[in-house]
Amino acid sequence: MSEIKPNESAPAPAEDNGEEKDWAAAKAFFDNLKTHKPRPPKPRYAVTIAVSSRTLFNMVAERKIYEEEGVEKYVAYQLENENEPLKPGAAFPFVKALMNVNSRLRKLYPDSEELFDIVLMTNNHAQVGVRLINSINHYDLTIERFCMTGGQSPIGYLKAYMTNLYLSKDSEKVGEAIEEGIAAATMFMPKTEMELSDTQLRVAFDGDAVLFSDESEIIVKKHGLDTFFQHEKEFENKPLAQGPLKCFLEALGKLQRKFYAKDERLNCPIRTFLVTARSAASSGARVLKTLRSWGLEIDEALFLAGAPKGPLLQKIKPHIYFDDQMFHIEGAKELGTISAHVPYGIGQKYNRGKLIEPEKKE
Amino acid sequence: MVSTIQNTDVKQKDADHAVVVAITSHAAFESGADDGDEVYREGVAFPLLQALQKVNERLLEENPAESLLFDVILITTDSQQQQQSSRVISSTRHYGLEVSRFCFSSEEDFIESLQKNNVKLFLTTDTNEVTQASQTGVVSVLLDQQTAVCPSEQLRVMFCGDAVIRPDTGPMPLTRQAAQSFSTQLGEMRQKFGMFDSPLSFILVTSHGGRESCRGALQMLRSRGVSVDEAYCLAGAPRGPMLSLVQPHFLLRDGYSSLEE
Repeated sequence: MSEIKPNESAPAPAEDNGEEKDWAAAKAFFDNLKTHKPRPPKPRYAVTIAVSSRTLFNMVAERKIYEEEGVEKYVAYQLENENEPLKPGAAFPFVKALMNVNSRLRKLYPDSEELFDIVLMTNNHAQVGVRLINSINHYDLTIERFCMTGGQSPIGYLKAYMTNLYLSKDSEKVGEAIEEGIAAATMFMPKTEMELSDTQLRVAFDGDAVLFSDESEIIVKKHGLDTFFQHEKEFENKPLAQGPLKCFLEALGKLQRKFYAKDERLNCPIRTFLVTARSAASSGARVLKTLRSWGLEIDEALFLAGAPKGPLLQKIKPHIYFDDQMFHIEGAKELGTISAHVPYGIGQKYNRGKLIEPEKKE
Repeated sequence: MVSTIQNTDVKQKDADHAVVVAITSHAAFESGADDGDEVYREGVAFPLLQALQKVNERLLEENPAESLLFDVILITTDSQQQQQSSRVISSTRHYGLEVSRFCFSSEEDFIESLQKNNVKLFLTTDTNEVTQASQTGVVSVLLDQQTAVCPSEQLRVMFCGDAVIRPDTGPMPLTRQAAQSFSTQLGEMRQKFGMFDSPLSFILVTSHGGRESCRGALQMLRSRGVSVDEAYCLAGAPRGPMLSLVQPHFLLRDGYSSLEE
């Protein structure tokens, strides 16, 4: 799933001549710019994050026009307000944090292409693109790549851009992306704003059905907690299977190690958190052992033993928090955490622990 | 020697307002070794021809008295196909292609048929023909196997966002002028349809530049009456995978710079 990109140091594959030409021309273009804008990294080595227009910017008012008055009025409205920058959306702080990591990486490794690559992936009409670009300029975001598909599905383009993570407000597209093996999540804007770090990217993950598969969650839902605890103890040493966000954690870890290699562990601008309902005593060991078997590190593992996640997330203040259950997403939102729903696994069939009954036909 | 034959199956277009598109019969039809049959097989330009036809259909749906339509003519320069002129005509009719005229000429004087017919866009599979026609100021496009897999329900015209930003110091070459006026006419046709479900779509691809190049190109094309539908800004990302998704029928080079790919 969203396989991690090759190392720069590894011997280069027999590369497509056309690909190299495109890359060289872009490099020349950016190097010649008077504005000294940082050049976007080579997609093959970068950690590519695709964000939709509605996650990057707050387009709630515009969306309302689209839904109530139709697409022509919506585009006309965007054109009229082209020079009016849009307000930041749910993914905005996350994008700023990614940019900060990039500038730290560029200082330490000026010639490396192992950076975050931020791509705007929207099925907006290209005419709306002018306002989007104006807004990107207004905040001076380093986004140089985009797809404005004019209504077509972005899924194929996600693959063409070698996307490592896709963030959108549209849960259907996110579901499709996950089915295609691309890490993806539906973003939610919290009710209140939280003061987030501007020197460190903080990413929090739920465990089951996010980093790990939903195999254990299935046991809880079908057989209850006691069976779950027994099972986890018994299989403590058997690694869990991968979940949809595992490769993204891996990509973060790879960048973290670049800082450690330069003696920057204490000052690392990336910090990862595991926030799980599992308890340390009974079912936590399996999780830690699984991570270790994958060669992955997580900076802080927090075992809640079923306690609500909201208050803890308030303390952590992540730029993004991934969870597969809407129940937890709602809780996080209430207390100001920017949360991202991963529509994967058995959790989608349940709401607050109860099986969602299919609609009965009259 | 140029001879022109009208296709009586098809209503002739208004010469003052129609946009004449010339396609070589070599691009329209495959003349293979198994030439026992009466009718040629479909060539690489088939989906393109069908897409042009679709645009006309939809234009007439919007306004039955519409005169800004595509006027497609078939040019046969291939000596083998020339000898079988009746076969070219019967194949065209067999597939119900909306070709209004057939022009038969030699390689030496096919340019004459382009000029006589006021051709705005010339489509061929022959590189020499592209070069020759371009030199006389006719917008010419080389078709290949890629064109064969493009959709037939929508005409997809691509513009390149890189060339647009770099101004030349010299005078505008003839083809550039011609490409610009052709794209303006396409823009006019596009206006007759809504945002979505249009039989004609404009795609902007910026290969090397970043968002500034893309925005500049969008605004410049807009000022020329071309409202771009889809935009892809690559900034050096590999073009191949993108283009196989975008599936443009052809690229219209109407930028300032003569920078070629």
